Amino acid sequence: MSDVNAPAIACRHVWQVFGEGADKALTAALDRSGQDADAASQHLRATGFIPAVQNATFDVAEGELFVIMGLSGSGKSTLIRCISHLLHATAGEIRIDDENIVEASKQRLIELRRKKLGMVFQHFGLFPHMTVADNVAYPLKVQGIGRKERLAKASEVIDLVGLAGREANYPRELSGGQRQRVGIARSLVADCEVWFLDEPFSALDPLIRRQLQDEFLQIQAKLKTTIVFITHDINEALKLADRIAIMRDGKIVQIGTPAEIVLHPVDDYVREFSKDVAKGRHAHVASVMRGAGGGIEPGPDDPGLRTNMTLDAALAKCMSLYEPVPVWDDAGACVGVVDPADLAAALQVEDA
Amino acid sequence: MTAIPDTSPALPNRLSPGALAALITLLVGAACIALEPAFAWLVKWPAAWTFPATDWVGAVLEAVLGALKPFARMLASLLRYPMDGAHFVLTRTPWPLVIGVTTALGWYLGGLRMALLGALGLGFVLASGYWIESMTTLSLVAVSVPLALMMGGAIGILANEVPRVKSAVQVLLDVMQTVPTFAYLTPLLLLFGFGPVVGLIASAIYAAPPMARNVMLGLERVEPEIKEAAVMAGGTRFQQLFQVEIPSAASQIMVGVNQCLMAALSMVIIAAVIGGFNDIGWEVLLTMRKAQFGAALLAGLVIVVFAIVIDRMSGALAIERKRHDPRIAYGVLAVSVLVTLVFWGRLPDPSGFALLDPTADAVDAGLTAFTVASGAWLDSVKNGAMFYVLLPLRIGLDQAVLPFTWGFMWTPTMSLWLFAAGAAAGLVLIARGSVVGGLLLMIAVGILETGIANLPWPFVLTGTAALCWIAGGRKLALISVLLLLTILLSGLWERALLSLYLSGAAVFACAVLGGAIGLLCAVSPWAWRIVRPICDMLQTIPLFVFLIPVLMFFQIGEFSAFLAICAYAIVPMIRYTRFGLVSTPDDLIEAATASGATSVQIMKDIRIPYATPSLLLGLNQTILYAFSMLVIAALIGTTGLGQSIYLALGQADVGLGVSAGAAMAILAMIADRIVQGFAEERRKALGL
Repeated sequence: MSDVNAPAIACRHVWQVFGEGADKALTAALDRSGQDADAASQHLRATGFIPAVQNATFDVAEGELFVIMGLSGSGKSTLIRCISHLLHATAGEIRIDDENIVEASKQRLIELRRKKLGMVFQHFGLFPHMTVADNVAYPLKVQGIGRKERLAKASEVIDLVGLAGREANYPRELSGGQRQRVGIARSLVADCEVWFLDEPFSALDPLIRRQLQDEFLQIQAKLKTTIVFITHDINEALKLADRIAIMRDGKIVQIGTPAEIVLHPVDDYVREFSKDVAKGRHAHVASVMRGAGGGIEPGPDDPGLRTNMTLDAALAKCMSLYEPVPVWDDAGACVGVVDPADLAAALQVEDA
Repeated sequence: MTAIPDTSPALPNRLSPGALAALITLLVGAACIALEPAFAWLVKWPAAWTFPATDWVGAVLEAVLGALKPFARMLASLLRYPMDGAHFVLTRTPWPLVIGVTTALGWYLGGLRMALLGALGLGFVLASGYWIESMTTLSLVAVSVPLALMMGGAIGILANEVPRVKSAVQVLLDVMQTVPTFAYLTPLLLLFGFGPVVGLIASAIYAAPPMARNVMLGLERVEPEIKEAAVMAGGTRFQQLFQVEIPSAASQIMVGVNQCLMAALSMVIIAAVIGGFNDIGWEVLLTMRKAQFGAALLAGLVIVVFAIVIDRMSGALAIERKRHDPRIAYGVLAVSVLVTLVFWGRLPDPSGFALLDPTADAVDAGLTAFTVASGAWLDSVKNGAMFYVLLPLRIGLDQAVLPFTWGFMWTPTMSLWLFAAGAAAGLVLIARGSVVGGLLLMIAVGILETGIANLPWPFVLTGTAALCWIAGGRKLALISVLLLLTILLSGLWERALLSLYLSGAAVFACAVLGGAIGLLCAVSPWAWRIVRPICDMLQTIPLFVFLIPVLMFFQIGEFSAFLAICAYAIVPMIRYTRFGLVSTPDDLIEAATASGATSVQIMKDIRIPYATPSLLLGLNQTILYAFSMLVIAALIGTTGLGQSIYLALGQADVGLGVSAGAAMAILAMIADRIVQGFAEERRKALGL
């Protein structure tokens, strides 16, 4: 096993440029601009190349649910394909468990995909000529595992995603939501450690989407895999993410927790995203808490705020108070105070 | 300069590219006509200026083929084993068993309808007395198709796996599609010697491209996410390809299998031309030569039945996913085995059946009676078309109008009057704003007066260059002119013009008639219900069979060839016209209706413009169909390249056969690129 502190995925200066002779063009453009990514991208665009991912650098911790969000054409799908090596990154380094997969051999990549990586696709990518069971068992089949054994394993994951009884159906006989359950089951059958999901719920109806999101969170709670999740839906990102990276025109413009994204957007682009979001539901008390509240004992009218309480919930509890209110951690120790006025202020949508 | 709004509809200050191209073409044509008396070489390319290119090609090819010969002969003798095997199995298998297997297969693939089709179809074949001949043909198909499938599949997969090879393969497939079928046969004859093996190999070569095309297309169209899912599952490239991509592309590949079967059948029958092999194609040819049209028609119908059975059954592979209960198929098989065993030794000889001979004789008698009774009428139809349409198109009004044909003599004065009238009408059009239309009208008048076969070569080159330039840019124009020059220099020019004339006339007739029928079918679903099965039928019939009915009524000659070409080439025009017209998006029609347009206005202003790309594609297919039929029609009397190819086959003259074949391919490809170019432009203009 690798070092506990090493991130599960580490991306360093990852570029994906499309066009004939892109790698040379990128090196030249970077040299020209003195390694300035923005200037290099501009130059590449001007010369007919498409810098779909520019200088992406971030880490994903083990067991973290990392969401990459952006509008269509922002490069998020390209980025996830670089990390899963469906596309060979033009430049940069992508380490999965400290192994640089950009330089991995073909053989090693096949091995990695068999043992470590799983992926779910927006339009499911189910094999039309195979039944549900065969679809799910396919990653085991390519490893040469016998039919009986792989079908047994497949039926376990099919149970997990709630499709028991549909094993013999063909994809065309299933609804959209059921199809994506098959896609999820297939990506899980080989016990992956890193799980890529490319807009898995975008093609589904809102109600089915919410249901699958909840089930997805339950599965994640059970399996605790490292996840890279792509979406264009800010609400989905906020609901699921430990951390969110926001992409625009091939560039990552901000990485942060849902609360950071909502409360401290770095620019108008990010602010625009979170504009219509009910911030009170996504930001927690911890993000507006000041100083340490050492020595404070709970008073008789203490509203009992917690660090992980949403702003909405906190505000409801201390509406009538004017004093700074103490905040308690799960162990019952006071960790700080919150001014109710700050709670209210944080919730206000900026009227720029 | 300031722009002053021009109130009069006079000439625009600058000519559009189209008008410029038309103007240059017109001027070159006019100059050629004016200078013809002084410089005869402007019109007729002097023989002294040609190279004996066909001889060179022949010499080179014969050397190459000679070197390959031992290998080819070995291959031929190897191929004899499977061929003889298939022949033995198919002709010796008791006929109830063959019918039983076909019926069972029909049931499994397509249920009751298909089972009935199989049983009745083969029943018809049995009743006709052509059982053994049919099985011989089938055995050739049975060997050539697996060969073609393997070759085509391998080519398709190779092109998919090695992107660098892909464009080269595409060009190769294009060329193979345009080179006429007979042209294949001559070099093969030299390589493999006379005999059924040549037909076998020719049909395998001819049938491989559709398979390759569909494999390529199918693999290309597999959803990217399905491919990615196979990668992420950890499959090796081999596993991805054979476990995921090829099965996912199955229905497109099955379309390829279907087309491959049909092409092989068609070619096996055409190949009868080169050898007296006891197959059904030979039977048609023989009876046709003996003018036994009843028998020829019967044999032709046997071919049609075969084609339909094979087409519908293999077509079911591509569309229907659900198979029917195999138990019934086994039941049918068991019954046929039982029948065979019970009547073993007492089964009537399949060649002894002559149930339909009386019908054939009746057809013969009826036909004779009909031609005797209405011979005058048929002749007048034929002569009318020849004298007033085909001949003027071919050699021009100045030579076609004679006392014998039109009742008077064409004089130079009349030419002048015609030119004057054309120029006047053209000028009127130009003055009304349609510059290109006016110029084209003047060009058309010129062509009508001169005749396509007598067109001055500078005019043809300029006209082609102009069209290519407008349709596809400078590069296409350059390549086309260079290719045409090779025809000119090789001395095949006159024959090329003759081919151009006949196929041009047929294409024009098909475009007008087929367009009208397509329009009718688009407007009236009722008409389509009648026309559609006819179209299906015409597209299934092997080319060869088209010759029988036209021969029956109009004997050998150019008019019969013209009719046969039209009958075959009209189908795509009908289909594409209808398809283009009915696929206008509903919201466009609703918007037009809401604006208060009548249905005629909707047709004229919305549906036809929207359908233009589709119409042009139909025209393109019609041109290619006409060219491929032109060569077959050489059997019943055409002049030009088709005749040369056919003659070359008889004389085993590889140089002439291949050169003339190449010239046909050049003409077809230039026409194809021009029309495709226009279609592409329209599609872009419509944002499709």
